[in-house]
Amino acid sequence: MLNVYVNNYVIVFVFLCIGVLLPVGALAMGRFLRPHVPDEAKQTTYESGNNPFHDSRVPFQVHYYMFALLFVIFDVETVFLYPWAVAYDKLGLFAFIEMFIFVLMLVLGLVYAWKKKVLRWM
Amino acid sequence: MSGEYLAFLALALVAIIGGVLMLNLSKVVHMVIALVFTFISIAGLYVLLSAEFVAAVQVLIYSGAITIIMLFGIMLTRHREEDKEKTTTGGFWRKALTAISVFAFGAAVYLGVYQLDFGENAARLHEKNAEQIGTALYSHYIIPFEIISVILLVALVGAIILAKKDDGEAQKK
Repeated sequence: MLNVYVNNYVIVFVFLCIGVLLPVGALAMGRFLRPHVPDEAKQTTYESGNNPFHDSRVPFQVHYYMFALLFVIFDVETVFLYPWAVAYDKLGLFAFIEMFIFVLMLVLGLVYAWKKKVLRWM
Repeated sequence: MSGEYLAFLALALVAIIGGVLMLNLSKVVHMVIALVFTFISIAGLYVLLSAEFVAAVQVLIYSGAITIIMLFGIMLTRHREEDKEKTTTGGFWRKALTAISVFAFGAAVYLGVYQLDFGENAARLHEKNAEQIGTALYSHYIIPFEIISVILLVALVGAIILAKKDDGEAQKK
């Protein structure tokens, strides 16, 4: 059984290698194949478009950080849901109540966020 | 030299190189990419330890969510590459003290880990890994699990309070 397990991950490793090497290889091939003739107009941000002004790297509002934080917290919650769902047949009603309490806690948090108007995309 | 050993060496090497690159690269987004490589190779180490579910969680939470939160943090802060100059802080003694403490920490971890005994070897861990974790978590470790939900709630409310406070200050300005 351990052999099967390890061999399955060899395939995962092959896919990982393809995933990393494909963009690297494609961009490297592109560098060899394309002509490289830069000039002033080509190197502007929008070629034949508006002239860029100001700096593009302005700091965002703190407000958007909330969405990232909420995403992380609910991501962690999903992770706990997964083994519960897989082992549900063996666990029975008690585990269902446990998970109900768990989800209820996070729904409380979500309602709090809603009441505080965090979820509004301004 | 078995295949597992080779895989461990490669993954550990990628993890350490990712960490060192993260400290040494100058552009912030490149640092985040190096950090993602570290996270993914640590997930590979979990796979080698037959902890399949933990590896999936590592990819999902760390190289997914934590990386996104770091990118958000980068976008929120003001940083210019050009006006950053390489300056060294601290004199010789400070550096020497740092080096000594790093080596002492390494030696302490080595001594602690080398003779570590986890009791019996869990040989059946790779069979239905998520289901094993599920049965253990929801029958033996209920109280820690429910405490986790409270901690997540506290984190959520705390984050909202902090961010809303910043918003109010920004509006006052």
